[in-house]
Amino acid sequence: MTGSIIDIRNVTHKYKGSGQDTLDNVSLEIKEGETVLLCGASGSGKTSVIRLINGLIPHYYQGDLTGEVYVDGKDISQTELYELAGVVGTVFQNPRSQFFSIDTDGEIVFGPENIGLDPKEITARKDGIIEQMDLKDLMGRSLFELSGGEKQRIACASVAALLPKIMLLDEPSSNLDWESIGTLRDIISEWKKQGKTIIISEHRLWYVKDLVDRVIYMEDGHIGCEWSGDEFRSLDDNDTRSLKLRPVNIQGRYEETFDFSAKEKENHREEFTDGIVLKDFYFSYDKKPYLLFKKKYSEADGEDLSLCIPELVLPKGKVISVIGCNGTGKTTFLRCICGLEKDCTGTISIDGKEYRGRRRIGLSYLVMQDVNHQLFTDSVASEVLLSMKDKDDARCCEILDSLGLLKYKDTHPMALSGGQKQRVAIASAIAAGAEILLFDEPTSGLDYSHMEKVGELLHDLASSGKTVLVSTHDPELIECCCDYELYIKNGRVISFTGSLKKPESIRRNAI
Amino acid sequence: MTARLDPRTKLYMILVVSAVVMMSATTPFLWAVRILMTIVPIVLLITEKHYASAFRFLILYASALVINFTCLSEQSEGFLMAFLVGYCSIIVQFMPAMITAWYVVRTTKIDEFVSAMQKMHVPDGITISLAVVMRFFPTIKEEYLAIRDAMKMRGIVLGEGNIAKMVEFRMIPLLFSCVNIGDELSAAAITRGLGGKVKRTSVEILKLGIQDYLLIALFTSVLLIFVVFKYFL
Repeated sequence: MTGSIIDIRNVTHKYKGSGQDTLDNVSLEIKEGETVLLCGASGSGKTSVIRLINGLIPHYYQGDLTGEVYVDGKDISQTELYELAGVVGTVFQNPRSQFFSIDTDGEIVFGPENIGLDPKEITARKDGIIEQMDLKDLMGRSLFELSGGEKQRIACASVAALLPKIMLLDEPSSNLDWESIGTLRDIISEWKKQGKTIIISEHRLWYVKDLVDRVIYMEDGHIGCEWSGDEFRSLDDNDTRSLKLRPVNIQGRYEETFDFSAKEKENHREEFTDGIVLKDFYFSYDKKPYLLFKKKYSEADGEDLSLCIPELVLPKGKVISVIGCNGTGKTTFLRCICGLEKDCTGTISIDGKEYRGRRRIGLSYLVMQDVNHQLFTDSVASEVLLSMKDKDDARCCEILDSLGLLKYKDTHPMALSGGQKQRVAIASAIAAGAEILLFDEPTSGLDYSHMEKVGELLHDLASSGKTVLVSTHDPELIECCCDYELYIKNGRVISFTGSLKKPESIRRNAI
Repeated sequence: MTARLDPRTKLYMILVVSAVVMMSATTPFLWAVRILMTIVPIVLLITEKHYASAFRFLILYASALVINFTCLSEQSEGFLMAFLVGYCSIIVQFMPAMITAWYVVRTTKIDEFVSAMQKMHVPDGITISLAVVMRFFPTIKEEYLAIRDAMKMRGIVLGEGNIAKMVEFRMIPLLFSCVNIGDELSAAAITRGLGGKVKRTSVEILKLGIQDYLLIALFTSVLLIFVVFKYFL
């Protein structure tokens, strides 16, 4: 052995049933205590490298594997997964699907219990971790009621409880907001201080840039190039854009977008005379007890309201970003607009026509964060036809064509890629005649070029006269396509301003 | 006294209640025993602060009982009566099992459950699969609600009037997302050492307390009463 804790030698790998190599002759050595970032487009093999190190390849995901992988002196192909549990810890992308218990305490002790530690030792470790990661306020809670950021903190804690030498993080920030990403960075930097070896696969580069010692750029299953930490930190926007990476240095530019306290002081509200008028949008998650008739919410309910928007005019044919912290009412706002919260009795007027109650459904359509929930049929075409009152094949083809989906007309929606699924959902919204299109975090977990594509799509939708509202934490998306910014806090509109955008020429280039 | 019961007692309760609901109560005495047996999990729900569900179960069960005894008899006829007879007798007959199961699922932590199963020397394969099922219920609910919302927006909650479609539109996305979540979940669990050859330990220290012995005694006598009345008298 050469003193490196991870040694990947000439590995080529192909998933079972896939035609293409996911990894193509990859060799990588990582020294103990190093912090390494893996970047590159989706499908470039980042996740596969992570899976090589934690042994999920070849033990869980089957496929053809050649080459050798040594982790902490163990030959991975000869080592059972449970033997690696105390050596390698992995934090996954989706906070929703990586916890095994239903309560936070149980989750932290889950790993140590599995490897058969003494209960006293487990309790001591748990207390240590809680102290170290400041988790006291999350203890004794059900994991299902935590926010994405809180779940990710628990996930980090439960991995750390096994005291592994090597920490793997597979796109850990995908579902996190601005603030939670800050917490995540603090956790990683604490691990770095403890001397752990850390490998992060990530699309968002800015938050880890000060932590990394070495950066590996993956491209089509092999290592494209390698930077030292300093070289990486000096990459400018042109460098990253040519490599289809998200920017490394964003301070200054984006701080303004997400400087919420300045926005609160400013309290600026753009006024529009001609537009879509939202009126009396009040809603609360704390249901009032009632006997026969539900009480309507009104402004008088004051602090109890989770959403309180007496009147708001949205400009037509524009992309409006809805920003604010997690759990501050962005999603509630979108759900109320499209009529999913029945108790919200607001009205929407377009061109002097007023829509209320159930009529709002159909007027607007929400593309959900997990788009799998809204695809119901067995082909793309029937998905679109399902939305039409009178089935019109020609119109269906026209819509599909405009979204570049015509050649997938007869494909099963679940066989498409994530971006294509998103477009199928949009196609069905257009077919239903929706005027307002709502997007809930459409770019979480997307790489630079996919993010750009979504931006382009939103821009095109707005140009064709639809009003697009997009709830997002993604500064790059805002920069590339949003015309206005709507800042929401505690369900109240705090400011509504025009977006700072790149000059048109750069933008066109990017698109 | 806190009424934290041992999971083994809870499992025993489920077993007894399920057996008893399969035997019909014929005399007022047996009815009294049955009702007593149903009250126990409701009271336990209250001690665990699940007031709303305890109240709901109580009302539903009590009203079904009252209707069953006062309004219905062998002479009842007509559609409404037929409907009521069917509805109320199902509730009266099987509700106790449902309440108990609800109580157990709601108040047992997966940890506790797993270590109880281990104490009873149940093979790990069975324990883990049951634990996963318990972990999955809330997930299925979350996914289902999201899918229902999506259907509302598309205006296809009624599946265009076609019952097969109604089921299909709900099941297909639900199955897809549950399979995906299940896959990610097991990958996450095995990287944290689940399924190893080492004997799993547990921080939950299980010990049968006085409340456990009392309840076990109570439920054993309920079972005995029903068995004796059915087969020996």
